[in-house]
Amino acid sequence: MPTFEYETKKIQVDEEGYLVNFDDWDETVACALAEREGVGKECPLVKEQIEILKFIRDYYKKFSSVPVVRAVCTNVHQPRKCEYLEFPDPRITSKIAGIPKLVTGYELM
Amino acid sequence: MAKVPKPNELVIEHGFPQTGWMDTPAVFRPGNFSYPGKAKNLQALGLPNPREWSPLDEDWKLPSNWKQIILEGMRERLDKFRSFKIFMDICVRCGACADKCHFYLGSGDPKNMPVLRAELLRSVYRKDFSLAGRIMGKMVGARDLTEDVLKEWFMYFFQCTECRRCSLFCPYGIDTAEVTMMGRELLNLVGLNIDWVVGPAANCFNNGNHLGIQPHAFKDMIEFFVDEIEAVNGIRCEPTFNRKGAEVLFITPSGDVFADPGTYTLMGYLMLFHQIGLDYTWSTYASEGGNFGMFTSHEVMKRLNSKMYAEAKRLGVKYIIGGECGHMWRVINQYMDTMNGPADFLEVPVSPMTGTRFDNAATTKMIHIVEFTADLIKNGKLKLDPSRNDHLVTTYHDSCNPARGMGFFEEPRYVIKNVCNNFHEMPPNTIREQTFCCGSGSGLNNDEFMEMRMRGGLPRANAVRHVHDLHGVNTLATICAIDRAVLTALMDYWVPDVTVYGVHELVANALVMDGETERTTDLRGEPLPGMEEDSENEDV
Repeated sequence: MPTFEYETKKIQVDEEGYLVNFDDWDETVACALAEREGVGKECPLVKEQIEILKFIRDYYKKFSSVPVVRAVCTNVHQPRKCEYLEFPDPRITSKIAGIPKLVTGYELM
Repeated sequence: MAKVPKPNELVIEHGFPQTGWMDTPAVFRPGNFSYPGKAKNLQALGLPNPREWSPLDEDWKLPSNWKQIILEGMRERLDKFRSFKIFMDICVRCGACADKCHFYLGSGDPKNMPVLRAELLRSVYRKDFSLAGRIMGKMVGARDLTEDVLKEWFMYFFQCTECRRCSLFCPYGIDTAEVTMMGRELLNLVGLNIDWVVGPAANCFNNGNHLGIQPHAFKDMIEFFVDEIEAVNGIRCEPTFNRKGAEVLFITPSGDVFADPGTYTLMGYLMLFHQIGLDYTWSTYASEGGNFGMFTSHEVMKRLNSKMYAEAKRLGVKYIIGGECGHMWRVINQYMDTMNGPADFLEVPVSPMTGTRFDNAATTKMIHIVEFTADLIKNGKLKLDPSRNDHLVTTYHDSCNPARGMGFFEEPRYVIKNVCNNFHEMPPNTIREQTFCCGSGSGLNNDEFMEMRMRGGLPRANAVRHVHDLHGVNTLATICAIDRAVLTALMDYWVPDVTVYGVHELVANALVMDGETERTTDLRGEPLPGMEEDSENEDV
């Protein structure tokens, strides 16, 4: 399992760059993952991004699944295409939120 | 993951090959194969030889007696499936099918000619199962089964979408899709499958659907769409789940529950059923219409399919309605009643609104939602305002399996023409029974295969571009969940001005519901024609 350092943290990801331990996630880890995904080097992430990530994480905890894209935006009261506005695409959002790789419908989108 | 070349960089060579086909090994490179099945998914399904491996490695970690396993598997299937034996025996290699395959047209690789794809298997059949081949070998097109041959099978049986366009042109009626199915089934005996087939199949086996959506999430997602509909027209649909005693069980592919634009099609189902007051239920157990088992083996297909009848029996419904899906309907129409039937606990479907008895489903007891809706329209049971779709200029892509697998041509067109004012057909040799595949069916709809998908989808995209240039078509309607997803990627690549819709999304746009508030947007939140100003500030 590859491990990389960001600021003072050691972060463990799998071969495809997904966070290994869901509970290792915090806003600094989100910055590290976002940088690896080429989303940007700004840290902390902007408020809108953090809201999206936290909603996805809470949903995953409850449902073992990622939410429908439009449901994210509705629940965080952002425009319908928020995930595309704040991140390159929903599957990268999910990765930055520390969700493990799922055989999800993302590949159907 | 391989970088996908831009459309203008994609080179297709149809030159004469430099070496004979038996002397040309399969070369795996990123972009021309799908990732192999993960061990955990093979284990979940109880499939042989679970391990981590890569087609790029020399050693595929096959069992030591792999050759014996394959040949015995072939013998067993030649005895069991008469069609397989006939398809191995009767091809005269006339080549009528050669240029009918979208993967051959888009790749230029001769082994994607259906005749040659089947020959990969047939050559081994000749060597081990025919006297002439045993004695005369290569002279009669026979060859030994070697690891290179097996690798070639893996390459080309997973570069076929089982669309059956080639079969249509075969003077002997050889169904090359069945040859591919046999090829894949044999490969599975030694643990060779792709993860975008076994992953969804394992999910379906464990959780009820390909996407692994658990029951509470499945319910939550559908209830989200109920909220979305209410925001569009003020109507609150009231779907029920796992309800015993409902008249109808409704099953659709799980892609519709999660992935755009299928989610809008699902909203269409909810709105239609609410408007007509259908007594129906969803199931969180049989929560998948599709069947990726079909791309693995008959055994896995049967196991995944069995949930439909089991759930219909448990809930005590009268019959089943199925959603807009492609390969789902090949399984239902051609295999289900003999595989898991007879469903003698169900009744022949009769529409409660029109009284129409669907005798075409007398054995399966399961009807397609598009024929159900076409019947409602034909009997004047729906109030429709097609002008709400006037911002769309539509064409229709016949999904391979409903078209060639069940002759389903007229009903979708009838529905679309009743809900859309602007409709144009693509050229005749690209529609109906001659429809061109999306290029991503049969489990090949994964990211790593994108270059081949764009190549294989080129003939379909070309026909769409034709009507786009000629008539200004901006909407591609279809009745398959995989189509809705992959044609979106295909259009983005080849014809970016065209958007993909499910037929029931178009129905729902036009559907005038009792008690609805004034509609200003379509289901996607886009302003309806003439309502552009009203919805300007409603983007949140």
